[in-house]
Amino acid sequence: MQDKITKILKAIADPTRREIFHALVVAATALPITHVSGQFNISRQGITKHLKTLEDAGLIKIKTKGRERFCYANTNPLKEVNQWLKFYEKFWDGALDNLSDYLDKNA
Amino acid sequence: MKDVIRKEHILNHSIDTVWNAITKQEQISNWFIKADFKAEPGYKYTFTAPEEQNCTQIMGEVKKANPYTLIYTWIVAETNIETVVKWELEKTEEGTRLSLEHSGISNYSGENAIKMFNSFNEGWNNCISGLSEYLKQDVHAR
Repeated sequence: MQDKITKILKAIADPTRREIFHALVVAATALPITHVSGQFNISRQGITKHLKTLEDAGLIKIKTKGRERFCYANTNPLKEVNQWLKFYEKFWDGALDNLSDYLDKNA
Repeated sequence: MKDVIRKEHILNHSIDTVWNAITKQEQISNWFIKADFKAEPGYKYTFTAPEEQNCTQIMGEVKKANPYTLIYTWIVAETNIETVVKWELEKTEEGTRLSLEHSGISNYSGENAIKMFNSFNEGWNNCISGLSEYLKQDVHAR
């Protein structure tokens, strides 16, 4: 769980990777990697590295069809990050319950 | 991403009783977290979670402390990310309405989220489970 979220956060921490991911989300379909690298002013090698990081985080999937490799976005892992951010919700719920308990006993 | 957490609680106690519970160092230390705290604007406070739970420190500065509004910044150790916690009390027929607002949560995204996440994993997890253990025991004791 921890490793997974750390990977997702690292993947989306980079602005270029966020742009690539965003472009794939907007495309809503599988795009050839050549097409993706054509949109960004980075070497094919650079793009491959970014895509690998995104793939490791589960944010994109890569499939090979014939000679061309295609990638598409998978937004599901972001839900886990969102759940993690809900941590503070639980934290304050717990704290406020504690406060009301404390007041009932001591006031 | 959502940036503000809002909580509301109705407490069957007078507004001054609740105000003391959230502003007095001894009382904060009792129900919430070990506190070096003064409800004075400019005071740099420190909250320290229990050692046996390996919990982390929270630091910040009191921005406002007029009855019945208390505002302080909230920085989890080693993250350098400033968020803001605001407590507001309001008299009601039943007692006191407490409104809590924690804003700036989205500052934790990206690289900062990783740092926050690491410190959270070491400490807060334990804090939360410690709290629920405490509450469980408390319920059984009644």
